[in-house]
Amino acid sequence: MNFLTGKHVDRRTLLRGVGAAIALPLLDAMRPAFATPAKLGSQARRVAVVYVPNGIVMKDWKPADPGKDFTFTRILKPLEPFRQDITVISGLANEAANKGKGGGHAKASGSFLSGTSPKYTAGPDVHAGVTFDQIAARRFASETRVASLQLGCEDARMVGNCDTGSSCAYTNTLSWKDPDTPLPVEVNPRSVFERLFGTVDPSLPADVRARRAMYRKSILDQTRDNTQRLTADLGASDKRKMDEYLTGIREVEMRIAAAEKDPVTPPSEKPSGIPFDYAEYVKLMFNLQVMAFQSDLTRVSTMMLGREGSVRTYPEIGVPDPHHPLTHHRGHPDFIEKVTKINCFHVELFAWFVERLKSTPDGDGSLLDHSAILYGGALSDGNAHSNSDLPLVIAGHAGGIRGGRYLAAEAKTPVANLFVQMMNGVGVETASFADSTGMLDLRA
Amino acid sequence: MNSLMIRVLRMLQMIILAAVACLPLAAETAEVFAYVQKSCVGCHNASVKSGDVDLKSLQTAKTFDQDREIWEKVIDKLKTGQMPPPGVPRPPEATTKSVTHWLETEFDRLDRMVKPEAGRVTARRLNRAEYNNTMRDLLGIDIRPADSFPADTAAFGFDNISDALNLTPALLENYVDAAERVVRTALFGPERRKPAAIHYSAPVRINETRGQSKLPKDLFNYDLTGLSTLHSAHFIHRFPVDAEYSFRMVLNGHRPNQSEPVHPALFIDGKLIKEFEVDATDLEGQNVEVRARVTAGEHLLSESYLKTYHGLPPSYHGPEPSKRPSVPLISALGKLSEKDIETMRKYGTKIKTDAIETRVDNRFESLDVGGPFNQVTTASPESLRRIYVCGHAAGKHTGACARKILTSFASRAFRRPVTPKEVDQFAGYVTLARKQGDSLEEGIATALQAVLVSPNFLYRIEHDRQAPAGNASVPIGPYELASRLSYFLWSSMPDAELLRLAGQGTLQQPALLDAQVKRMLRDPKSFALVENFAGQWLQFRNIEVVRPDQERFPMFDDALRLSMRRETELFIDNIVRQNGSVLELLDANYTFLNERLARFYGIPGVTGPEFRRVDVSGTQRGGGVLAQASILTVSSYSTRTSPVLRGKWILENLLNAPPPAPPPGVPPLTESKTGQDATLRQQMEEHRKNPTCASCHSRMDPLGFGLENFNAIGAWRTEDGKLPLDVSGALPDGRSFQTPAQLKAMLTGDRDAFARGLTEKLLMYAIGRGIERYDRPAVANITTNLASHDYQFSQLVLGIVNSLPFQMRHARETSQIAATMGERSK
Repeated sequence: MNFLTGKHVDRRTLLRGVGAAIALPLLDAMRPAFATPAKLGSQARRVAVVYVPNGIVMKDWKPADPGKDFTFTRILKPLEPFRQDITVISGLANEAANKGKGGGHAKASGSFLSGTSPKYTAGPDVHAGVTFDQIAARRFASETRVASLQLGCEDARMVGNCDTGSSCAYTNTLSWKDPDTPLPVEVNPRSVFERLFGTVDPSLPADVRARRAMYRKSILDQTRDNTQRLTADLGASDKRKMDEYLTGIREVEMRIAAAEKDPVTPPSEKPSGIPFDYAEYVKLMFNLQVMAFQSDLTRVSTMMLGREGSVRTYPEIGVPDPHHPLTHHRGHPDFIEKVTKINCFHVELFAWFVERLKSTPDGDGSLLDHSAILYGGALSDGNAHSNSDLPLVIAGHAGGIRGGRYLAAEAKTPVANLFVQMMNGVGVETASFADSTGMLDLRA
Repeated sequence: MNSLMIRVLRMLQMIILAAVACLPLAAETAEVFAYVQKSCVGCHNASVKSGDVDLKSLQTAKTFDQDREIWEKVIDKLKTGQMPPPGVPRPPEATTKSVTHWLETEFDRLDRMVKPEAGRVTARRLNRAEYNNTMRDLLGIDIRPADSFPADTAAFGFDNISDALNLTPALLENYVDAAERVVRTALFGPERRKPAAIHYSAPVRINETRGQSKLPKDLFNYDLTGLSTLHSAHFIHRFPVDAEYSFRMVLNGHRPNQSEPVHPALFIDGKLIKEFEVDATDLEGQNVEVRARVTAGEHLLSESYLKTYHGLPPSYHGPEPSKRPSVPLISALGKLSEKDIETMRKYGTKIKTDAIETRVDNRFESLDVGGPFNQVTTASPESLRRIYVCGHAAGKHTGACARKILTSFASRAFRRPVTPKEVDQFAGYVTLARKQGDSLEEGIATALQAVLVSPNFLYRIEHDRQAPAGNASVPIGPYELASRLSYFLWSSMPDAELLRLAGQGTLQQPALLDAQVKRMLRDPKSFALVENFAGQWLQFRNIEVVRPDQERFPMFDDALRLSMRRETELFIDNIVRQNGSVLELLDANYTFLNERLARFYGIPGVTGPEFRRVDVSGTQRGGGVLAQASILTVSSYSTRTSPVLRGKWILENLLNAPPPAPPPGVPPLTESKTGQDATLRQQMEEHRKNPTCASCHSRMDPLGFGLENFNAIGAWRTEDGKLPLDVSGALPDGRSFQTPAQLKAMLTGDRDAFARGLTEKLLMYAIGRGIERYDRPAVANITTNLASHDYQFSQLVLGIVNSLPFQMRHARETSQIAATMGERSK
């Protein structure tokens, strides 16, 4: 099967990512196109969130023994080879999800990265808080071609309320640019690829490409002027729409300018679409992030392995039942076992991502050395929609995060304390965020 | 006029009612307060504030106007018997009835006193469906560029609500890229694609015939196309461009020796493309290949065996038994081990091992789609005709054509005449390109791209007009009306006729408008209402993303998925285009079926893959959307039915009474009391013992249980697992039913609520904003009009088109307009 090029079995296998060992040669092959020596020396730090929906079977997640020599539990087991690169954290809570009305899932994911309870609505008046990844994205926006990536592995084209009267915006994305603007996830690897590397056909002669780029710039320039004139005539709400449009135009213009200054050649042909196989799909999405980080096209990403409340089935691991209803297991051992299987499967895929980051050179170390990757969810026990003692793991060493331990934080420590550490870790200095009471120091 | 008279009559009625009641309003208000004081305030006061409701503080003069939402909840709780809760003394039934009746009458009165307003629709961005359709109608190419855009945010269940349709930089970039792609495709032909292969593995659905020949009871009455048997395999594939593609079907399974050859076949969209003949006992790894020309877009590919139970050995007693001699070609038994025979079978397709092979489990292993080959690379003549309007042959266009071409194109794209100044700007791109040494056509391509990224194309911006003195609202302009109509009924741009009438200034004339609406509904483009309105309202669009468990429902495949969607689409399309009654959605004596779905439903006499109208009166399933597998599947989980989901679906979509979100701190279902072997009904009943849960579930669950005769993919059943089904139900308001038919009759009895809900949703969809309190008179008028016209669909649409919110726009403060005008002249 072929989602990328259809031609070279070898290259195809690489991006499909059937395994880290096979995937490695691609990276070497790609390096010349990608990382100029100047880049390798840069001090870029990356921050990412990999989100798992519907909670975790905590008894098989949470290690028993805090400290350096903790024992890997059944679900965390796939991360054992990376013991020194990860920090398992328990005890953190997201208080915002307990407040206000709305579905338990919508409140959890809708407040996770902002610490702000989402407004209860299924209408257009969605409102939550700016998320910490977007604060970082804003900081890096002028230095990278793409301010941030929002990726999803589940088609979010769902109509109607997503969770008992709460908008789909709360369950289907994590990142909020500002309190009124959720950033939709991109689920098509081909679109992600085009976002990173552009749509221009690399096979065209250079002069044709240059002329087309020039026309495009001229179109954007004139459209911006015209729209500004048009806006003068409009009422307040129409004006807001045009402001949004103008912001878009300006950002596209900025990206074109940045791309011209520092051209990046796409590493391979485009993925042709969404792979059927879930593992293959997830690995492709992880790989796109590796590529984006490696060539410093962006430093911020969030990715949802499934939308919160996901009803994906996993027949390939013997779980033909939909995920969400399973998590309301009512104590039934068969159901719990199936949820555990899903939990393990997700962590296996995440371990693959960690391996990719660790094996990709970056500056004086690896991408993993310069990243802070959060893996976890905004629900611990999915059956009770519990928002405390969240299942969280940090991979990477950005900003001196030490790794190699299980940290049992004091119960009900705000999860925002961790975000403060993550932001500082990637160079976005801040003393507080949302309901934080300090920084959860992972350096010591 | 009509509506005005109705309104006058209603008012008279109210006056008479008030006179009969013989009580001044104040006295009744006092009665309501007394009732609340006695029966509710014990819990719902400022200190206890049960359910976050304080009814004591509401006892003010204007409360029924100001605190309307809370009082509506009170009515709901009282009418459904949820309040007062069990254990608290209940006031006499008659008193409760008179209180709720008075409150409802009061709200009705208040609603009719509401000053109707037109509202203001914010500039509406084209959503994905609208963008695709508009490109199709504008350029004459159907490449659906928006399919790869990020999903549009939905609000109130619809993805065309202007306030929710925001625009991110990523989407803007998509617009810029798509403009280039569609323009180049239209002018210079489709993107050249390199051939690639896509592999589809067929699901293993034939386990029960693996290792044994489980044949159907009646070998003389089965689907001869094979499309509805488990031997077939179906895949939905998106073809990137018009071209030839190769299809390689890999076979698997067995045929008894002495059988006649099998006839695997490829169907595209239910049309036979090629029939093959394969003569083998062991089909594993056998393959056949065909090339066919396919148009770009999504198509259903089906592999099946034609006449699969024909030509079996005589001992199978099937039709047209094999005439082959019973002597095996190689009589190997006894001399070779079974393993040897197995190996031999793999190599020689003619090897027949008489005593061994008896299975009829021929199936498919996979399908490989390769291509594109011999791709169409020239531009479509239709596109060129639409763009090059100056009438010259290809390549003979002169510089003077540019302005003509751009004026025509931009006017259609902006859905209004363009100004000479706008044309100047677009013509500037042609000049720019020529200066760079590019051709005239390249220049035009650049100019067209500029048109397609302009906000005048991407948004429908309605301009403010000065309202006549004393009027708050002002009619929208004729071109704006044309766009409102076309995006409402077609999800696309206005056609030439609408634009012509708008240009003449006659579109607003009632008789002409009426005729146009009816013309538009009859046009096939009104299918957009089915896909985009009904698909979201009834949620059957979700059939595309459901994944029923393959173990439990092996018969569910993409062919069945498409058939389910098609049934509902054709059913609603029939109501739209033939001007049927909207009540047919609740119950009807007909539906649309092909053989696949008819066999699935157990309805005899339907053969072949084409859909046709079928009379379903007298069948167990009956008609209406609640008997349609699409609806029954999207309201189920992948492994089982959910009475809760189905009940919620009915309340939300058919009864206009969406249940509220569960309150915080709802305890999860526990199995301790009922044990794990309890039926779903018993578990749910346990759940409802908790009064907090019961308040909503006592309404949701019985409705859902009424549909338990339909399994999680909508097939009829009489038992769940081994337990017999109980499909009766009783609602808190005292009504009950024993069968799905009775449930439907009950829903049909609630036609007022249904019609009001449908009206609100369709109006919301039409104007792209939420329904406000000031829209209530409009909704009431449309609903009344609908009821007095036999619930004809066209009357619903006409009611909306002729309503204040559709035709008018709330004017801005004059001073505000003056200010911006002043600013502009600076």
